[in-house]
Amino acid sequence: MSYHFGRGRSKWTPYILLLPGLLFYFLIALGPSIATAFYSFTDATGIKGAPVHWIGFDNYREFLFMGRASIDNLEALKRTLVFSVAVTFIQFGLGLFVALIVNQNLKGSNIFRTIYFMPVILGVVIQGLMWSLFLYPLGGPAAKLLSWLGLRSEFLGGPPEQAFAWVIFIQIWANMGITMMIFLAGLQTIPAELYEAARIDGANPLQLFANVTWPLLTPSVNTNLLLNVIGSLQAWQLFLVLVGYRNGTQVLGYLIYATGFGQTSGSVTSSFRQGYAAAASIILFLLVLVIGMTVQYYLQRRETRILG
Amino acid sequence: MSKKMFSLLSLLVLLATLLAACGSPAAPTASSGDTAPAQPAEKVTLRVLVHQNPPMVAFMEEFNKKFQEKHSNIVVDMSVVNANDLSTVSQTRLSANDIDVLDIFGFSNAAQPYMKQVDPPNWQQLIEAGLLMDLTGQDFLKYYDESALQDAGSYNGKVYAVNLGRVSYSGIYYNKDLFTANNVKVPTTWSELVAACETFKAANIPCMTAGGKDGWPIFVGAYGLLGSIYPDQAALVEGLWTGKIKWNDEKSLEMWKKMQVYARDMMEEGASGIAGDAAPGRFASGAVAMFPGGTWYAAAIEAANPGFEWGYIPFPGSDNADDNKYLFGKYDQGWAIAANTPNKEAALLYLAEFSDPANYQAFVDAVGFIPTQPTAKLNTKIGTEVAPYLANFRVGYEQYWVAPKGAGQFANPWASYFKPFGTDDDPQVLADKVQADLQAGLDAVNK
Amino acid sequence: MNAKNASSPVYYRAARIPWGVIGSYLVMIFFALLYIGPLFMLVNTSLKTMPSFMKDATSLATELRFENFVEAWNKANFPKYLLNSVIYTFAATTIYIITAIFVAFPIARGYIKYSGAVLTLFVIALFLPPALIPQFQLILNLGLYNNPIGYILLFIVNPIGIVILVNYIKTIPQELDEAAALDGCGYFRFVWSIVIPLIRPAIATVIVMHAIGIWNEVIAPTIYLTNKDYYPITRGLIVFQGVYGSNWPTLAAAVLLLTLPMLILFLFLQRYIVSGLTAGAVKG
Repeated sequence: MSYHFGRGRSKWTPYILLLPGLLFYFLIALGPSIATAFYSFTDATGIKGAPVHWIGFDNYREFLFMGRASIDNLEALKRTLVFSVAVTFIQFGLGLFVALIVNQNLKGSNIFRTIYFMPVILGVVIQGLMWSLFLYPLGGPAAKLLSWLGLRSEFLGGPPEQAFAWVIFIQIWANMGITMMIFLAGLQTIPAELYEAARIDGANPLQLFANVTWPLLTPSVNTNLLLNVIGSLQAWQLFLVLVGYRNGTQVLGYLIYATGFGQTSGSVTSSFRQGYAAAASIILFLLVLVIGMTVQYYLQRRETRILG
Repeated sequence: MSKKMFSLLSLLVLLATLLAACGSPAAPTASSGDTAPAQPAEKVTLRVLVHQNPPMVAFMEEFNKKFQEKHSNIVVDMSVVNANDLSTVSQTRLSANDIDVLDIFGFSNAAQPYMKQVDPPNWQQLIEAGLLMDLTGQDFLKYYDESALQDAGSYNGKVYAVNLGRVSYSGIYYNKDLFTANNVKVPTTWSELVAACETFKAANIPCMTAGGKDGWPIFVGAYGLLGSIYPDQAALVEGLWTGKIKWNDEKSLEMWKKMQVYARDMMEEGASGIAGDAAPGRFASGAVAMFPGGTWYAAAIEAANPGFEWGYIPFPGSDNADDNKYLFGKYDQGWAIAANTPNKEAALLYLAEFSDPANYQAFVDAVGFIPTQPTAKLNTKIGTEVAPYLANFRVGYEQYWVAPKGAGQFANPWASYFKPFGTDDDPQVLADKVQADLQAGLDAVNK
Repeated sequence: MNAKNASSPVYYRAARIPWGVIGSYLVMIFFALLYIGPLFMLVNTSLKTMPSFMKDATSLATELRFENFVEAWNKANFPKYLLNSVIYTFAATTIYIITAIFVAFPIARGYIKYSGAVLTLFVIALFLPPALIPQFQLILNLGLYNNPIGYILLFIVNPIGIVILVNYIKTIPQELDEAAALDGCGYFRFVWSIVIPLIRPAIATVIVMHAIGIWNEVIAPTIYLTNKDYYPITRGLIVFQGVYGSNWPTLAAAVLLLTLPMLILFLFLQRYIVSGLTAGAVKG
């Protein structure tokens, strides 16, 4: 592209202004990530002054192939995918649905919109604590509701699959607000005339949605999908607050942190294994990369096809 | 948003960052050189790290106050972190040289010669990295029990930590009033325990409670069962590694069956909703008959309900009363000093002061540890309760066990695998699963 | 309907029985209950005494024990935690967004060489997991451990934001650049005064996303901020929970002490957030 804002030395202005951002990025994100890649080939413990040895692919071998533990790791990987898929699609669907309803601007919609966005503002710890309280098995609200149906559950302390399902639910609950907001913004960009024209042609609400709303919402759809997919693949703080490091509920992000920084259970703490954790990080990265790029590619193609 | 808005924003950012910068604490001043006498002359901030344990923290605050009064040039800056975070924060603060005295649990889980390809435990990693100060030869060591120093604080012949006490985790607290009211004898065998629980349940009293929300209180509470079948836990660990003992052989199967009864029938419904710290309160409220838990809960029980009548017995896992006279536990909290601390004299002084038998006695009274100083007395209620079994104190399985790499997550003797805390309800199936998970690791490392 | 919301179609004619409207309200109320329910439980619990809570967790709190709040207030420095969170988020987000705009703009316009490659660099970073230990070593070596500035430093990058900004800037026609340059506008002034207002929706999205990330950070404070006075609310609450985890009334009071000011902050800010997000309603 030709640069319009002057010639000669002023041509350097974009570069100079770009430099801080780029520098920060190399220093804080790219550099450490490359370092992680190097760490993954060592037996580094992360403790200052401890000896570090190059061990090649041993960490990867151990993570992926060694005995029963690697099967547990692959389970964690699977669980990460399940978490991501469930959260992405359900959050996407619900966010869209609620955005459509709120977008009608019925009286009071603003209040509802604020309510749905509230958990986003409160943050992960408060979300977790609110739900820990709500799901209190010894007579909390959810327990009461279930008892009216004659059921009981241990909720977050019960069988791992149940606890896992609850975390998925709470994650969706917490973040639906953002999805909704992004869709609302996108809905605002659709000109009313298109709806009028389609309505005059006799389109019913479902057709309106399929032929006007959905195609023109593509940029928001793409943003939300990409954010959701990547975010949910890496998110695990809710697990920390709600469940702790329980077998059968771990997702990769948590596993990486626990192996790297030692995990305490009762009276025992595991050793610090930063090299191993780094290898797990890289595996997670590759997973996210593959999925993310596939999603991104598919979305790009669709966007150009629909919007030209 | 106009240009003015952004200029204002930039100004605010600058202000915020300045505020943040000015808020940083003063760096600790270095103590006078190594040749100085025991009492440093300059102002020193001594940074101490402990984990969350309400009676211990309360004691430490008192102790720090007195210490600061006695040594007016030293200010003690104590940080308290959740027990789960202790090792993480210890590691980061040691690496950053941001700590002087730290709370460290008794050294355990060392790599034994029959274990292959195991990583050294985290305390060993810290020592090998040169982060813990060698305390060998320090004066205050003489106050402590020699075996405690050896077993819980030494490595390669040097002392790196003074351990402050032992705790038992394989006992059961019982509610004396409920027992007398329901005519139940204090159980000394497994069958008596089962019968006792059934009596209580028939009277609509939950038999046992524990802090199920934190996970580990359930299976740690059942370590008495493990101990009654395998009283020598060091031998158990070696047997598991060499294959002489399996988690699905006859003896183990007996243990699994009993663990199922414990998890399914004895534990109250809803135990999984009780946080570890809430369990003593629940027991002290008089709502349940028994509470399998560690001796460290005694202080919390007394605080929750002073005057509450309770007792503590070893978990009767066997039908032979003689097998049930052991208490299994671990070495709990200890003190270590950062090797690179700039406040060496102050730190050593702190430890010396703490180790003084009068101060130590007060500490033990406050937290209910089984003392590691031979001169200390068992003044607390829990002390008197465990006194008859003290000669039979054994270090527990958890302190010996190191899992082989490649072992699955089920390779443990955990009662919490059973429903309602886990997903299993068939002891044989579970036993096989546990052994399979362990075997996977053994096979992987023995290749 | 007002002119600002030119396209907010009511999908259902409010003719005879407005089923559509009723249905919509039912849905919105259902979700609202789902969101307010836990909050209400929190409020109710915070007003109870511990024995009352243990006896019946869901009974209405008739004892109105406001001492819980006093207790929570005294036991931990919540105002400081809140202030810390705000400072960290605000400082890091502002530094980030300003540097990010000046990275995204020339990439989107191709004003720098290899802009395609640079963009790819950022896209790759989208998928990178956090590099906790190397970052720790970095901050340590910079001497910024246990220092708010070091903590803020961790959050002045975010590749997703760059990607979003680039995509949005590309929708602004190049002719604008040419016209401005012909008018004698310099590069910096152009970006600052003309481009930024035009990409407000993207900036709003990126700011919200980034701020939420910092606001929610739980692990970094554990590792980097050991001084109680530096704790953000996430760390402060978790430490508080470590002590009072079993004491739900006090814990609930503590959570509320933080929730209320945040809600007020949000209500104040949401006008800007929403107007920022929806400002691009009518584009060229």
